[in-house]
Amino acid sequence: MNAPAPPFARFAFSFLLIAALPCALAASATPAAAATPAAKPAAATPAASAAAAAAAPPCEACHGAHGEGMAAAHVPRIAGQSADYLKKQLDDYAAGTRDNPIMANFAKALSQQQRAKFAARYAAMSARYIPQVKPPIAVHLARGHQLAFQGDEAKRVQACNACHGPDGVGVPHAAPYLAGQSAEFLASALKAFKDGTRKNDAGELMRSVAERLDDADIAAVTGYFASVDLSTH
Amino acid sequence: MAQRLKEVDVVVIGVGMVGSIVAKELAAAGYKVVGLERGQTRFTVPEFQSPAVHDELRFDIRKALMQDNTREPVTFRNQGAQVALPVRRWESFLPGTGLGGSMVHWNGQTYRFQATDFQLATRTRERYGKNFLDPDVTIQDWGVTYDDLEPHYDRFEYLLGTSGKAGNIKGRIQAGGDPHESPRSRDYPTPPQKEHFQGAMFRKAAGSLGYHPFPQPSSNLSQPYTNPEGVKLNACVFCGFCERYACEHYAKSVPQTVILPVLLANPNFELRTGCQVQRINLDSTKKHATGVTYIDAVGRVFEQPASLVITSTFAINNIRMLLLSGIGKPYDPATGHGVVGRNYAYQTMSTVASFFDEDVIVNPFMASGASGTLINDFAGDNFDHSGLGFIGGAFIGAVNTNGRPIQYHPVPPGTPAWGKGWKQAVVKHYNHTVMFSCHGSSVSQRQNYCDLDPTYRDAWGQPVLRITFDFPPNDIKMAAYVTAKAVEIGKAMGAKQVVGSPRKGPYTVTQYQTTHNTGGTVMGDDPKTSVVNRYLQSWDVPNVFVIGASNYPQNASWNPTGTLGALTYWAIDALKNKYLKSPGRLVSA
Repeated sequence: MNAPAPPFARFAFSFLLIAALPCALAASATPAAAATPAAKPAAATPAASAAAAAAAPPCEACHGAHGEGMAAAHVPRIAGQSADYLKKQLDDYAAGTRDNPIMANFAKALSQQQRAKFAARYAAMSARYIPQVKPPIAVHLARGHQLAFQGDEAKRVQACNACHGPDGVGVPHAAPYLAGQSAEFLASALKAFKDGTRKNDAGELMRSVAERLDDADIAAVTGYFASVDLSTH
Repeated sequence: MAQRLKEVDVVVIGVGMVGSIVAKELAAAGYKVVGLERGQTRFTVPEFQSPAVHDELRFDIRKALMQDNTREPVTFRNQGAQVALPVRRWESFLPGTGLGGSMVHWNGQTYRFQATDFQLATRTRERYGKNFLDPDVTIQDWGVTYDDLEPHYDRFEYLLGTSGKAGNIKGRIQAGGDPHESPRSRDYPTPPQKEHFQGAMFRKAAGSLGYHPFPQPSSNLSQPYTNPEGVKLNACVFCGFCERYACEHYAKSVPQTVILPVLLANPNFELRTGCQVQRINLDSTKKHATGVTYIDAVGRVFEQPASLVITSTFAINNIRMLLLSGIGKPYDPATGHGVVGRNYAYQTMSTVASFFDEDVIVNPFMASGASGTLINDFAGDNFDHSGLGFIGGAFIGAVNTNGRPIQYHPVPPGTPAWGKGWKQAVVKHYNHTVMFSCHGSSVSQRQNYCDLDPTYRDAWGQPVLRITFDFPPNDIKMAAYVTAKAVEIGKAMGAKQVVGSPRKGPYTVTQYQTTHNTGGTVMGDDPKTSVVNRYLQSWDVPNVFVIGASNYPQNASWNPTGTLGALTYWAIDALKNKYLKSPGRLVSA
């Protein structure tokens, strides 16, 4: 029923990270270990912690100077995402309930205070909307809009907006924004919920939804949310 | 002139919880079943989706999901000497309409009654003597026992996926559950919901007083669940919009989320919505039903012949259906004779508000309809009533269901009712108050009953139902006693001010209390004091079954839905294994 999603997302992420890391993370902790998924996660050494706490955060390398993300590499936009949500994700990466070797390495190296600080930093940022390289065609947009606003009774899927707020703008403390998010990232997140590699959703709320969506639905709904430019709301 | 339709095996009147379950079982057994629903078809998608469903003005204040009382009102009076007037705004109780029925807007509190409740008259006589009660009290035994119903309670809870903690499995007391409950055959299908902060405070305080707190059994689920029908539900997100609302998350167990997908896929079943049943038709002997007459949404009149008629409408509407059809002798309070409309009862609800300083933050909006913690130490016959002058009791619990902005604003007595002073008090107390519910039993009493109103008629020209009800003295005494116990728990929580509001008479229909109307078509062993036999079959017309909370001879200390689900499966068992194999009386009169 729930065949594991192909791991291309993680590989693409890792590959780009290798390319991107050296410039931004020249002085940072163990980039080689971070970039190798199979490697044992780096220990939270004092040196690593100190580096992570430095003024130029390692996040920028992938998430961008303004938190705009890197869509093609499945790196999410985090600018303006709620601090509670970002902090929880860092905690979950460190705890392993959200499976991502690269983020796990960074998160483990950070103290609770540092995680809270980074979360607050990106929550306060704003970044311009980045249009998709290949915008979805009309029929996919329509299906995505239907899933976002209405859901699908035949599949017993409720509207995304029921939790993620009007047009996916997010509900601070409770649910992240989806509007303007990278479609590639959203798709990899849905697939991770679906195949169980991401299980940091209380009550399996996201898994319950993701496992009822097929590839076409995932493409449609993620394409739809990526097309929403919040600055025009 | 009514258009006569092709005969079917079974007509079900009202496609709510009971109707859906009965229709599903009989259609699956191969019978041709037609379900007649007066309201509209509606499903989780699109009808129940937010933000539209989170409209407090539309659903809470204007009662969008309820029976249309501009077309089909009820009239009310406290006593027989008064003139009853139509209830123009639903307030005290909220009968639903539409596919899925009233269950669509329920809170999901899923209780069993206790073994003693089903033999209340016998038990009271044995324990307290035959002169203990007010002579006007007309409580009676149900004609079924808890042991009869246990497998059916179990089946209903597993249909819903109810989240709870057993307190007694096959006689073994389970830590953390309700030690007063009657033995259950196994634990709940899913673990309890997360406890909200008020519940945690209550648990600690009630425990310190030697009581036995436990998590409320909830059919807003704690985790995803696939029921035995193969239908899958999600976990509840604690959005705080349960009671009076439909759930957009497939997380509240209602017909749409537990059984309708299976029923509607069965070609033996046909759903017809917008169909207002006028009466059950009888042949010239008046002892056999030939079907029903209904009017559709555009005013066409149809006669639907059927071999078996099951009325499964909301409690008070079941009473009216029998009265309009001439089935069973109407009750006359002057003589005490007759049965239809007799033993109408309710629920005796009291509250306690515990006000704290601003450092205690409770976040009341973060709730499901059935999250919370309670005790049964003062419910039912779980304590000695000798010398108290009443029977029955109430569960006491911090079972707060919501903190919605229009309706929820606890303020202490003495607060101005409007203006600046009121607004300041609302802001001050909104997030720092713990509300308890004292959910009390209701005895049936000679003067309380339902009949057809002599004056008012519905949109189709038929007499509406008239309710005559006031709180019996027994229940006023009970409310005072139990509320005082609840105040002690509030004090043990360390509240700055604890305000108990025991229910007092007269009963008013202009203040919300609960939608737990019971009685009027009660079940029993004696046709002189019951409308249906122990299998919910009409004594007078054996091919009519009546299923609803209208079957309860009196109401117990808990929400009635769990018991109604058990009675539904109990009646289905009798229908499938007894009646339909050999139609006729299941109990000789």
